[in-house]
Amino acid sequence: MSTPTRFSSMPYTGPAPTNRKPFVPAGLEAIDKRCDEIQAKIAAPYVTAVPGQDLPTFVVEREKIVDVLRKLKEDTELRFELPIDLFGVDYPRRPEGRFDVVYQLYSIKNNDRVRLVVHTDEDKPVPSSLPVFQGFDWFEREAFDMYGIRFDGHYNLRRILTHEMFQGHALRKDYDPAQRWLLTEKDVAKIVPVVEHHPEDSDFEQVTLNLGPSHPATHGTLRIVVTLDGEKIIGADTEIGYLHRCFEKMAETHTYQQVIPFTDRLNYCSAIINNVGYSLAVEKLLGIEAPPRAQYIRLVLSEFMRIADHLVCIATNVLDMGALTNFWYLYQPREEIYQLVEACCGARLLPTYTRIGGLSVDAPANFLDMAKALVKKLPSHINDAEKLLLRNRIFLERVDGIGAITRESAINHGYTGPCLRATGVPYDVRKAKPYIGYDTYDFDIPVAEGGDTLARTLVRLEEMRQSLRILHQAIERGLPAGPVIVDDPYVALPPKEKVYNEMESLIYHFKLIMHGIQPPVGETYFAVEGGNGELGYHIVSDGSKNPYRVRVRPPCFAVYQAFRKMIVGQTIADAIATLGSLNIIAGELDR
Amino acid sequence: MGVIKIERRKQSFMERLYIPETVKGMFVTLRHLIHNLLNYKDLPIINYPEVKRVYSERFRGRHILTSREDGTTRCVACYMCSTACPAECITIEAGEDDRTREKFPTRYEIDLLRCVYCGYCVDACPEDAIYMTRDYELAIDTRARSVVGLRDLVVPPNMPTEPMGWRPYYGEIRKEGTAGGTGRGQEIRAAAFGDEAAPNPELYKGEARPKSEADSRQGA
Ligand code: SF4
Ligand code: SF4
Repeated sequence: MSTPTRFSSMPYTGPAPTNRKPFVPAGLEAIDKRCDEIQAKIAAPYVTAVPGQDLPTFVVEREKIVDVLRKLKEDTELRFELPIDLFGVDYPRRPEGRFDVVYQLYSIKNNDRVRLVVHTDEDKPVPSSLPVFQGFDWFEREAFDMYGIRFDGHYNLRRILTHEMFQGHALRKDYDPAQRWLLTEKDVAKIVPVVEHHPEDSDFEQVTLNLGPSHPATHGTLRIVVTLDGEKIIGADTEIGYLHRCFEKMAETHTYQQVIPFTDRLNYCSAIINNVGYSLAVEKLLGIEAPPRAQYIRLVLSEFMRIADHLVCIATNVLDMGALTNFWYLYQPREEIYQLVEACCGARLLPTYTRIGGLSVDAPANFLDMAKALVKKLPSHINDAEKLLLRNRIFLERVDGIGAITRESAINHGYTGPCLRATGVPYDVRKAKPYIGYDTYDFDIPVAEGGDTLARTLVRLEEMRQSLRILHQAIERGLPAGPVIVDDPYVALPPKEKVYNEMESLIYHFKLIMHGIQPPVGETYFAVEGGNGELGYHIVSDGSKNPYRVRVRPPCFAVYQAFRKMIVGQTIADAIATLGSLNIIAGELDR
Repeated sequence: MGVIKIERRKQSFMERLYIPETVKGMFVTLRHLIHNLLNYKDLPIINYPEVKRVYSERFRGRHILTSREDGTTRCVACYMCSTACPAECITIEAGEDDRTREKFPTRYEIDLLRCVYCGYCVDACPEDAIYMTRDYELAIDTRARSVVGLRDLVVPPNMPTEPMGWRPYYGEIRKEGTAGGTGRGQEIRAAAFGDEAAPNPELYKGEARPKSEADSRQGA
């Protein structure tokens, strides 16, 4: 748990010198006005507004952060009750403290966001925000793991994504990413779930059982330790990080364009959405917009990917419960969706299709025909699966009321996406803050009551239909004409014909490959609705070719942290059913 | 804002009885079975490896280095591809031709285990020198063999375009239509590449190409 500085051996030379202009977000005046309003509401001397940001931003004194969070959450008008993100940023040798801890909250009532920044240092612990937002539990652990920022009062502040033998803190600017740390079996952390209640008169002994990390029912490398009383779970704990590859550090050591293939590997069931989200975030920073044709293709493929994501989730969830037939019926259309993706960009699972400023290549000539055929085919598969599931008494009784989470608890844990909508909260980024033209399409947000496994399945089934609705409308409108990438030699590579034949284009080509895209100095947050909730990218740019910091807000991370509480009191088989319905993708969870 | 609330349906009496619904469910399965038996040809199953999937002409598979008409490799060892590569898996060493003053690679290695098949090297090349093929069967038995060098990568000039995948067509599409792929299975690889002749594995192997002047110059 120590933070030995001898492993922080990389000489850090400070931000690269740059003559780039600072980033000016669109609609700045409205944001700054909102910023003033919020500050008037909080009315505290320890909160300083930072104008000129893309969200209302405040610097808060370290000791007072919990008070401010509580005020923002409990104020009847502001109601910032959904914890979106908490992460660190490292600015070595900065006088007011080396680290930034950045909080982001969302208000469902006002469809509004706020960002809080706390300056701190290695030896200055930040008060833990767990009493206000339980959803920051793992986020604080991650900030500790990656930066060594301490949180006072956190009940379990240990490493989360890296292992016990890992030395140093990976996301510090002076951490050398080439170092390797070996974890041997004897050093693996022993996890003992906390048992809150073990009935005295139980006929059974307490047994502790390890599920995973490589268990067929965990669909990825998740480790769940459960304490059992007979078949009933009386205590549970989860351990993650088995698929950790430090996406965020890799992003810092590569150029903006080179990060796109890494984003594929976050939620690999709906990789195009990750590509799109990241590209849009960088485009926002650059102040450019991709041409309509590119946006259209991005939207169509995002919706197909959302359907594929839900298909996989439902299929594997019911597969764990023994319903193999549905698995086949649902996987077949998914295969054809991947075929469409492959026809566009040449790879199925990891498409790397978008580029900053547009797409890598235009869609094939028969793109719309393929999409049309798919949209026609999909409903029958979904209907078949729905019939087989929702009229099946065994299925219904196995999922009804299982793995339930209340609306308040879901919000407090930072749930987004289908898992939040299953508790009755109609929050969807596509409606709340429309991007790539979602506001021009007519679709509904399905919500269900109960927040249990059945509700999540129902929401996903209906969401696929809504996606199909969007696709129908999109296909009717047809592909807009025009290029698929911006005509800006500082962002997009010039066409190959020109590179081969013209000196000027060749120079731009060389410049762009060697020096990369250099966005203005500043930071921005952009969120898209991923398959599993709000997928956000917070990008900090120092004007150089590599991002200074890329933070991805993984929806699974927030969703999975409540899992250990959800399964207490259930049987093991129910825990498996619950896990499947949460749709935890390890690639995104562990990054 | 359109929000639809999904109500839970109460199970009807018949559903609670379970057996009738099971029988109905069996009919769904039966319908699929009969449909599949009647449309055997359209089954989504591919009998790999006898039958191979046809990928589109954008498929990002194993790389090749193309050659000029005179048999020399197009690559001029400009390091653009290795700079653009996010996986840092391309190693190039440059040499210079004494007679033509041309730069050329004396060593060009791609570690196929590190490669993420993103196609950035193809996009970055200013010389039309590196392409990706539709070859996706890259199984190897030792780690060392994952590193492929000039010998494996360079192909003779005038190679048929059918086996090729991702090529530098940024901004402009070369072929109309399906982009080549049907997603269906087709027997043997040659057919998959749209030509009836038996597959020519030599196409992918450096050894097969006739020894040209360029070889002796490069000392390969
Ligand atoms: S495909 Fe991508 S990872 Fe592979 S060699 Fe080319 S640039 Fe590198
Ligand atoms: S393959 Fe192309 S980009 Fe790579 S070194 Fe050769 S000429 Fe340059």
